[in-house]
Amino acid sequence: MGQLFSIIQEYINNYNLERVTKVVLKVGEMTCVEDSALNFVFKSFAKGTKVEGAELVIQRVEAISKCRSCGLKYKVDFNNKLCPQCKEFNYNLINGDELLLESLEGEEDETD
Amino acid sequence: MKQIDVMKDLLADNNKIADANRKLLSDKGIFTINLVGSPGAGKTSLLERLIRKFKDEIKIVVIEGDLYTTNDAQRIEQEGIEVIQLNTKGACHLEANMIAEALADLNLEEVDLLVIENVGNLVCTASFDLGEDMKITLLSVTEGSDKPLKYPIIFQNSKGVVVNKVDLLEHTDFSIKQLYQDLKNLKEDIKVFEVSCVKEEGILEFGDYLKGKIKTKQLATRSS
Repeated sequence: MGQLFSIIQEYINNYNLERVTKVVLKVGEMTCVEDSALNFVFKSFAKGTKVEGAELVIQRVEAISKCRSCGLKYKVDFNNKLCPQCKEFNYNLINGDELLLESLEGEEDETD
Repeated sequence: MKQIDVMKDLLADNNKIADANRKLLSDKGIFTINLVGSPGAGKTSLLERLIRKFKDEIKIVVIEGDLYTTNDAQRIEQEGIEVIQLNTKGACHLEANMIAEALADLNLEEVDLLVIENVGNLVCTASFDLGEDMKITLLSVTEGSDKPLKYPIIFQNSKGVVVNKVDLLEHTDFSIKQLYQDLKNLKEDIKVFEVSCVKEEGILEFGDYLKGKIKTKQLATRSS
């Protein structure tokens, strides 16, 4: 969370933002990030900063593995990573381990 | 209103330092494991046994992670091994920058194996790369065989699992068969070692596995 806010602060400075109104995160299904905990800690960090009151959007990304044998891309979860086509075990993630700050929305400071 | 595309990885800073750690260790031909497990699973006990059996053959150094105490480092030090204690002062896992600082203080010449004993925790330790070659998760019989399904990420990100306290199997409802099946579903090629630190069983097999990995790494370093 500290890392997230230091990136946001960098953008506040670079774009001369008065206020951040929306923060969009991309969170893969294979990370151990949980929505309510994330929302709670986001609010705590935002308090008293230019991010206070901003909407937090958490976009979940499905975990997709690519089969090393047949090349099929298929959805995996913790308990099932078998390729539906050739029944081979694959943990070759192409999506699902993201933890990204996707975008920000804010109001620019127009006083200068 | 302004919309800004950012697309920044929130773990990028940690990963960058981890990569630098990995490069430093690789240049010196040091094989590194990140040893994770619950509090009381026997991480330090496993290390003590491993050191006793193998310290004449391989040079081992240890980085000990702990919230507040130096107990574990003192135990390792008694085995005659160089050890650095990191105190996270409440934080539940080690991060790559802490390892970078410890590496600067360690004498890394002629070292074969670096063991980073992480804070006792199966959750956050899964997400932070320290620059290791592999994570090894230690699970003890008294914790129950359902742990891989309850904490899948740490097991899925580990190359090996050491099951400790197998001498207590008959006193618990731990199902070793279920454990193998669940681990296989999480990660098919995961290596499993059954050990008992108290009875000194299974330590040699685990140590020989590490010795093989050390050798492979040193050959790769020499030829590069």
